[in-house]
Amino acid sequence: MEISRIQIILIMGLMALVIRALPQLFFVGGRFPELLDRYLRYVSYAFICSIISITLFMSGARFEAQAAPWRGLALALTIFIAHKTQSAVAGMIVGVIVLLALSWMR
Amino acid sequence: MFFAARFRQGMKAAIPIWIAFVPSSVAWGIAAQNHGLSLDEVVLMSAWVYSGPAQFAMLGPLAENKSALQVLVAGFLMNLRFLPMSTALAPFFRGVKRVPLLLSSHVISASSFIVPYLQFQNERQAASPDGTETDGHDNLAFFLGVGVTSFVVWVTGTATGFGVALGFPQGLEEALKFILPGYFAGLLVIEMKNWAPRLICLGSLAAALAGAWVNPGWGWLATAMLVATLGWGMEAWKSRAYKSS
Repeated sequence: MEISRIQIILIMGLMALVIRALPQLFFVGGRFPELLDRYLRYVSYAFICSIISITLFMSGARFEAQAAPWRGLALALTIFIAHKTQSAVAGMIVGVIVLLALSWMR
Repeated sequence: MFFAARFRQGMKAAIPIWIAFVPSSVAWGIAAQNHGLSLDEVVLMSAWVYSGPAQFAMLGPLAENKSALQVLVAGFLMNLRFLPMSTALAPFFRGVKRVPLLLSSHVISASSFIVPYLQFQNERQAASPDGTETDGHDNLAFFLGVGVTSFVVWVTGTATGFGVALGFPQGLEEALKFILPGYFAGLLVIEMKNWAPRLICLGSLAAALAGAWVNPGWGWLATAMLVATLGWGMEAWKSRAYKSS
């Protein structure tokens, strides 16, 4: 059965609501194990980094070898600036500018 | 305290969250437009899923019409982090009926969790050093002041981002493609303070490439889970070894 994008979004939202609401409705006074809390945080970090990686460097199963060095450079600069300034926006802006400059130069 | 006054107090406390939400929601709106989603889909996803990282995770697979199961699994695993947040808030809403709790839980997000949670803890300690009751309805009003207004900023920002992206000239696809990953990379760098999450990030950045090469749909999901589990296990093992020495 084909599921439309809207249906996927609706199901996803419903799942998110269940996750958010369950503890509110049934675990009042409960405590979430610290170790598990950390694991879930690490899973989301790993997911975000994986998505960054495949968004920038992959096209399906193909490695985008031509664009990868420029995007990698922009990502490295973004990370460096964000770390130095403690501002994700500043890092992102620098990355975008570098990428634009490099794509015009090529 | 009256509901409205407590709600306003929450609103004031949420101002830093609004400021943080503006660039991320606009960036997401721009990226979503660039991926070919319609305004309806973008606004629906922001309002109904209301989770920046999950929306980011879903965007690529959704735009490429990948399997629904893959999109849902990625989003679900990403959203599991709401479980501990919601559990931590639950004791502060003691006495509130289930329907208001159900409705208000929709606006729990990483940012709108921290501000009320710290506020409630401080108030509880100030009111009674032994850590007993504070009023659940008062706390809910404060939480809604933070959560509902941040939610409105997020959804409005997304729609604005979508509109902004429509006005971009041709030839900027490369830069548009970078906005969201770049922003999330910046956020992660700021958030990570110790070795384990940094190692997990570096490991998953590299492993995802191999994973996507083997299987573009599920490979990166599997490598992310594997790297997170390894990093978490190593950290737990090191801390046990440190305690026992």
